[in-house]
Amino acid sequence: MSTVETGTQAEQPLLRDIPEDEFEARYGCDRFTATVLANRYRYTVEHMCAGLLSNAFSIILRDWYDFAATIAGPPRDNYSMPAVSNSLVLFLGTMTDAIRNTVQEYGPEKLRPGDVLMCNDPYRTGTHVNDVNFVRPIFHEEEIAGFVNLQAHMLDMGGVVPGGFSGTKRNVYENGVVIAPQLLYAEDRAVTSGWSLIFDNARFGDVLLPDIKTIYENLRLGERLLSETLERYGIRAFHGAMRYACDIAGEAMHHALRALPDGDYAGEDRIDCDGVDDEEEFTVRVTIRKRGGRAEVDLSGSSRQARTSINAGWLDAKTAVGVAFKFLIDRETPFTSATFRDIDIVLPDGSLVSALPPDGAIFLYWESTMPLVNAILRALEDAVGERAVGGDYGSLSIHSASGATADGTPWATMAQCGGEHGPWGATSTGDADSYNVFYLANNIDPATEAIEADFPVLVMRKEYVADTAGAGYHRGGAAVLKDTLWTEGVEHYSSPMHVKSASGFGVGGGGDGRNGAVWVFEPEAFDPSALIPDTPEAYAGTTPVAGVLDPETHALREDGEYFFFARVPMWQTEPNTVFRYLTNGGGGWGNPFERDPERVKRDVRDGYVTIEGAERDYGVVITGDPDRDPEGLEIDSAATEAKRAEPAG
Amino acid sequence: MLGVDVGGTFTDVVAFRDGRIVTTKVPTDTREPERGVLQGAEELGVDDAAVFNHASTAGVNAIITRRLPKVAFLTTEGHRDILDIGRAWRPLSAMTDPTWRRSFGDAASPLVPRYLRRGIAERMTASGEEAIALDEDQAREQLQVLSRCDGVQGVAVCLLNAYVDARHEVRLRELVAEELGDGVECSISSDVSPLAKEYARASTTVVDVFMKIIYSRYTERLGSGLREMGFGGRLNFADCAAMLVDSDFAMQAPFRIVFSGPAAGTVSGAHFGGLIGDENLLCADVGGTSCDISLVTAGQPFVQTEFELEHDLVVNALSNEISSIGAGGGSIVSISPAGEMRVGPASAGADPGPACYGKGGTEPTLTDACLLMGILDAERFAAGRMALDAAAAQNAFEGLETSIDPDQRAPQAYLMGLNNIAEGIVDIAVKHGVDPRDYSLLAYGAAGGMLLPAALELVHARRVIVPPHPGLFSALGLLSSDLVYADSRSAYTVLTPDAAGPVDEVYRQMEDGLRERLGADAHDVRFERSMDARLVGQTWDTPFIPVPQDTIDAAAIETMIESFHVAYQERAGNRFDALPVQGVTYRVQAIVPVDKVSYPHSDRREGQSLQASRTIQLRDLDGSTYESEEYERDDLRAGDRIEGPAVIREELSTTRVGTGQTATVGDYGEIVIEQGGGR
Amino acid sequence: MHTFPRPAEATVSVAREPVEGECAACGAQELRSYPVLSEGGWFRVVKCQRCLVSKSREPWNLAGSITFLSEQV
Repeated sequence: MSTVETGTQAEQPLLRDIPEDEFEARYGCDRFTATVLANRYRYTVEHMCAGLLSNAFSIILRDWYDFAATIAGPPRDNYSMPAVSNSLVLFLGTMTDAIRNTVQEYGPEKLRPGDVLMCNDPYRTGTHVNDVNFVRPIFHEEEIAGFVNLQAHMLDMGGVVPGGFSGTKRNVYENGVVIAPQLLYAEDRAVTSGWSLIFDNARFGDVLLPDIKTIYENLRLGERLLSETLERYGIRAFHGAMRYACDIAGEAMHHALRALPDGDYAGEDRIDCDGVDDEEEFTVRVTIRKRGGRAEVDLSGSSRQARTSINAGWLDAKTAVGVAFKFLIDRETPFTSATFRDIDIVLPDGSLVSALPPDGAIFLYWESTMPLVNAILRALEDAVGERAVGGDYGSLSIHSASGATADGTPWATMAQCGGEHGPWGATSTGDADSYNVFYLANNIDPATEAIEADFPVLVMRKEYVADTAGAGYHRGGAAVLKDTLWTEGVEHYSSPMHVKSASGFGVGGGGDGRNGAVWVFEPEAFDPSALIPDTPEAYAGTTPVAGVLDPETHALREDGEYFFFARVPMWQTEPNTVFRYLTNGGGGWGNPFERDPERVKRDVRDGYVTIEGAERDYGVVITGDPDRDPEGLEIDSAATEAKRAEPAG
Repeated sequence: MLGVDVGGTFTDVVAFRDGRIVTTKVPTDTREPERGVLQGAEELGVDDAAVFNHASTAGVNAIITRRLPKVAFLTTEGHRDILDIGRAWRPLSAMTDPTWRRSFGDAASPLVPRYLRRGIAERMTASGEEAIALDEDQAREQLQVLSRCDGVQGVAVCLLNAYVDARHEVRLRELVAEELGDGVECSISSDVSPLAKEYARASTTVVDVFMKIIYSRYTERLGSGLREMGFGGRLNFADCAAMLVDSDFAMQAPFRIVFSGPAAGTVSGAHFGGLIGDENLLCADVGGTSCDISLVTAGQPFVQTEFELEHDLVVNALSNEISSIGAGGGSIVSISPAGEMRVGPASAGADPGPACYGKGGTEPTLTDACLLMGILDAERFAAGRMALDAAAAQNAFEGLETSIDPDQRAPQAYLMGLNNIAEGIVDIAVKHGVDPRDYSLLAYGAAGGMLLPAALELVHARRVIVPPHPGLFSALGLLSSDLVYADSRSAYTVLTPDAAGPVDEVYRQMEDGLRERLGADAHDVRFERSMDARLVGQTWDTPFIPVPQDTIDAAAIETMIESFHVAYQERAGNRFDALPVQGVTYRVQAIVPVDKVSYPHSDRREGQSLQASRTIQLRDLDGSTYESEEYERDDLRAGDRIEGPAVIREELSTTRVGTGQTATVGDYGEIVIEQGGGR
Repeated sequence: MHTFPRPAEATVSVAREPVEGECAACGAQELRSYPVLSEGGWFRVVKCQRCLVSKSREPWNLAGSITFLSEQV
């Protein structure tokens, strides 16, 4: 199959304007039916997710929403994806290709009604080995009419680190078991060899078993809902509406692209280093060429793959590109495979976001695709004008810890006690929140009281820090300071990946958010009867994990020394040790010197900005005592006017 | 007995007297809501009423519009941003939207601005040890900061792990009174909602202190107004599950009444379903702006342990689970950029309302579609109080920018609205694992009868039932419930024989407390215990596991464990005997039975058969017209049978029976619509 | 799985091979051949560098340049 494009796309009539008879010829049904069915597909994937969410066993599915459902078209429509559930953003872009690659490699001609295929290979299906794709064909008169699919995170998939969350694994063999496309169910009978492959290589099998069975039930639910739809509307309308749903999304992105000025745009962002040493920085570089309704995103010039499992795969790169474009220019249209119709990605092999087996191990893939999102947000900052978006906190600085209770029962916490949540960048619509899930994901924040009931830890602080947000006409979100006091001896893994350069960059004249850091306070370094203060003096006795810090005082210092996180691969701590995570701040939007002084005063009143910060970053002079008399603050208008009139610099 | 349901626009008043249901509808006075209530009460008369049962959306409206008194929030030092953080997640619709902000966050409209959220130096652990003692001097300093602020009317206190040990909160409440005076309301989380997970407990406590301020004066004025009218009975408030509690009791924990209107519809459905022997219901209340869908299984509403006032604005209150779809009579019909017809979620509301109201609305709505299709009668809308303007409706549809044939627009909008409602109904059924074919679709709200029968085919429900008084059916729920006093407490306890003593103590304390508060009612009371529990290692609970009523001993613990496994298997499809069970929240309800509404019997017809009042023209989906019989609901008698297409009119509502459907009239005047020939 | 060595250079780039001919859309003589990732997976394209219109788009391997040893069994 080969296609040739001719001419520009300017003359394409809008879908809304094509006459009814032409519409019927193209989509096998009238416009109304196509609309109803496109809705039906979106609801079907939501129903599948609702069923999984209500019945899943493991917390990773239930609390982290670490799964997604999609519908795929038949092989002859190239597995086009008309509907994706609104669950985990990271999965939106990978799944179309994942389903195609799984089915094509297995052989669509071998599939029978009642089969379920599975595959989890990052190089074939994206994300990481814990995310297994489950694919079920839908048959109509002996032919495959389409697929219902669930991709879900399994609590463990083998490898050298329990649960897998680590940036220090050096190859696919350490990473976890790889499942090439194969059957888990054949005609609704369990395929024992498939189950055994999982159970014999992965931990926590007793949790995986009910989770996978629940997934199977929800694939059957999706199949039932789609079969009813097929029966009622017929195969022509069924497929026509799939194409229609994709075309709508393709058209929306196409028009959004046309509205951007033509040009070549470049941007980049980086992570600090990998888990081997801090000699090599890793940069993701994009050049976006935009002509008419087409764009090309070229990652040439990006760093080669890392030596440990912080890499991302080619499908993760594709997802990040799609999400970044949607963030900037097409926020409302549902995501489909046609989101990429007019976007070509030019992706060199063996880069940080297109790592190769076996040494380009992929696990903390989002740590590398977050810089890719940032690079695109930066590249298009001027082109999108007011719709520019500042950067978020840039790295989860993901923390895992494990130990054993007095009776020897092992425990482990994952992604609960580090800098997993933090601020976003500001936009044209207003200031940003300070405690969100990163741009590429969505989930529920675990409650402090739940963490403390389960593990030997006290979350002493979880609070925003003044003067950390990127200043702007609209202010970025403030950095989050989290102190965790570990009451027993514990082993920790900590992966802060983005403290050297600002991840929360500002746009349109807005300031960058301040960089964060991670410290360990040994028992003798603080007074346990009170909170550890957040002053430069507080860090003298600490052991830095990561950060650009004063080598003596260990306080943040822009021209300080970088402390390499993996110089201690695993932190073994005494009882009553504190881990302190300070996230990066979010980027500002627009010129802070044009922010309404009343809004600056409100930020001082609320402790987002100090009196000194108001003058330095916003040119607003405020008098009073924000701590003791917050409603008594006053703006010194004359001094503010004078300050704001000073030449920049 | 009287029931009053105060909505945002109208206050519905229903009375059950001498075996008859009497109703009225008066405009809501949003500034002084008790005036509308008293006016309605006067119309129906209260002097002989034994109870006056009250539900209102005033609390939730105050929160949603942020017309709120100034309150402060005290928490453990280092955690004052709990209220800004929420549970961090964004709604599904904001997945690729960087402009999304938390509606109650500091960057949008916080309920308590950050400077009024103060950290207190203290710390309790999850096992109830004092890690850091309460620093009273520091606490007084913080309270003095609040006293320097202008007009703080209330203080909500939620300290970490206070659900385990409340002593710091109790002491802080004393300090609040000392420093700020008795006139400042104070709610502490260990009183309001002693459940684990700090955010939900904190937001519930904040809602509680708001409701104390908003409802206390209102309750006083309402009570004295009613007494002046000669009312000597008892004033009850409905909570979020439409269970009734004495108003004094309600005011001790008023967060429970924050959202008390919509739940009444589900309770009304459950009660009516019991009467007609139909215990599995999908309840759909189609009003002006939305369709509220809820589930009744085996005669019981589906009760959840928490709900959201806005996305992630959580309240820890028992409530009937209701999901809202933006498809009501006022839902606006529009054309998307891609040329697709859309219905809702925007609504024309009551003002300007649908285009055909002639009050300045120019956008077409579902009501306009129904009018153009002939389902509504322009002359008889709202009991003839308002004539509808078909030309305005026609103009509104013609104004849509679309290539769809003008005659087909209204029918297509009608179908699209139906489609949205049908997907919403299927969604709630799937979520709860029920098959709609085992359920009847109960259609009420003013627009229920004109839309839902046509959804029967899409939803595959068994049948549609349109109850008597569909427009006031929700309010009748206030006359369909028992008095229920509830308490609950969290205490993570792995269920072993050793746990029997502590668990027994928790139940005894809660029940003794309720008995004391019930006073004279205590002798009629029936206690019902349950617990929310989980398998060790899980982070979410399986709620409402039955708990034995007697002393909790080792045998009772065994029973509780078995009940958990049975319920878990029923709800999640698996049984894990090897894993220990952990009790999380223990619940008690004290139920005081009270009289309820009973619906008058519809007599069977004698003599002449049912006659249509006339034949009218309806418009079909392709734009063509066809003939339909029109009936008066007042003429219907039990056993009557009507073949579709037909339209049945009553004072405040219209029911449409589709082609190929059959309607039969039940013993209480309910219209039962089935696909095909019917019974 | 095939073994792919880690690139020796610190950065990596895609080479665009020049192709003879003229763009049918804009007339420029700036055609180049290279792989791209888009809707439908990987393609080998011949594409005008001035207006980005493709002269040809041939579907490529499922996983681009990543191939599997099992294909050789």
